[in-house]
Amino acid sequence: MIVLLYVIALLITGVASGIIGSLSGLGGGIIVIPILTLLFGVPLEYAAGASLLSVIATSSGAASAYVKDKLVNLKIGMSLEIATTMGAIAGALIAVFLYSKSLQAIIFIVFGLVLLLSIYPVRKSFTLKNDSHTKQDSTTKKFQLSGKYYDKAKKKVIKYSGSRWWLGESVMGIAGIISGLLGVGSGVLKVIGLESAMRLPVKIATPTSDFMIGVTAAVGSAIYWEFGYIQPFILAPIVMGILFGSYFGSKILERTSSLRLREFFLFILIIVGIEMVFRGLGVA
Amino acid sequence: MEFERTIAMMLRIGTILSAALLAIGILLLIANNGGGGSSLDQIINLAPQVNSASFSLANIFGGISGFDGISFIFLGFIVLIAIPISRVLLSIFMFLYQKNWLYVVITAIVFINLIVAILLIPSMIAGYG
Repeated sequence: MIVLLYVIALLITGVASGIIGSLSGLGGGIIVIPILTLLFGVPLEYAAGASLLSVIATSSGAASAYVKDKLVNLKIGMSLEIATTMGAIAGALIAVFLYSKSLQAIIFIVFGLVLLLSIYPVRKSFTLKNDSHTKQDSTTKKFQLSGKYYDKAKKKVIKYSGSRWWLGESVMGIAGIISGLLGVGSGVLKVIGLESAMRLPVKIATPTSDFMIGVTAAVGSAIYWEFGYIQPFILAPIVMGILFGSYFGSKILERTSSLRLREFFLFILIIVGIEMVFRGLGVA
Repeated sequence: MEFERTIAMMLRIGTILSAALLAIGILLLIANNGGGGSSLDQIINLAPQVNSASFSLANIFGGISGFDGISFIFLGFIVLIAIPISRVLLSIFMFLYQKNWLYVVITAIVFINLIVAILLIPSMIAGYG
């Protein structure tokens, strides 16, 4: 009954990942890939393929609630997706090339570095008082970056405007490359890009990012699929677990202290980041 | 907003359908002790022979009627990938309806990128293979 144990272990991994992903916004990839590679010993390329599909699952699960509340800014998300999808194609092709030359150590190291490097921006975003989201520039009108939403907490309609579209596009291009290269959703980078670069309110940035990571991951998945990096047995229980986990995660989200959560995940980021770098260097 | 409700519904249906197909696939794999012409041991192997390159799309539809576990799982994945793609496609129609030509073009570009990734790249690679 080893099979059953395997399935259950993978299912639990998926559920945990889905819950953590929807609670923290860190996304499935950051959790799934290290667990699969470091704990289960799965080769990196299959873990990455699994992760990409997981990102779609997390994105679709969480996003359906947001769309109804009009919290996803479809125009901003879609226009930025031009850069992310192109980046993802490039990143995925680079990854495929590296895998074919057995150079996945490079990807491990890049993965670890990205995790460690994102600690500073994530830490900063906890205390960021983002009040500047009514600032407009020439790109605001051109790309129709304004919108409004109903804030349930404040009980009023909030108007906002995005700006610096070109900067946002550049950040998203990088996010796309990272997504394709590492097999992650780059949700963290996207939220930072939306909040800081484009000066959007948090409540719009997070759902919009959730929408975007799904599209980006679809691009990566397609390419990984073609090269055979989608393994059915590992993936199926994990994706199922995530679909459930992210659903429940968003349910309990309201009742948890977000600061405590984020501190916890910063901690995880550090540990996992170091482990991945070590793995790439051949130490772990 | 007609479109947004359609999109939300599509998301819901898509994720449930995908999960269901995956569940059926796993159960079938266990029940039949394998699928797609390989035994369960071969499939479980973490660095597997059985993966998405070795399993062509044509096999999948034949496999469904044969209650083949792997086929169900792959179909579940296909549905999953189709979800964001459908989302983009529906958005094109929404912008068309709103006569928002700028965003019709923008969304079309994103859609083309998706198609490029799915169709063009593989056939380019096949040319080298």
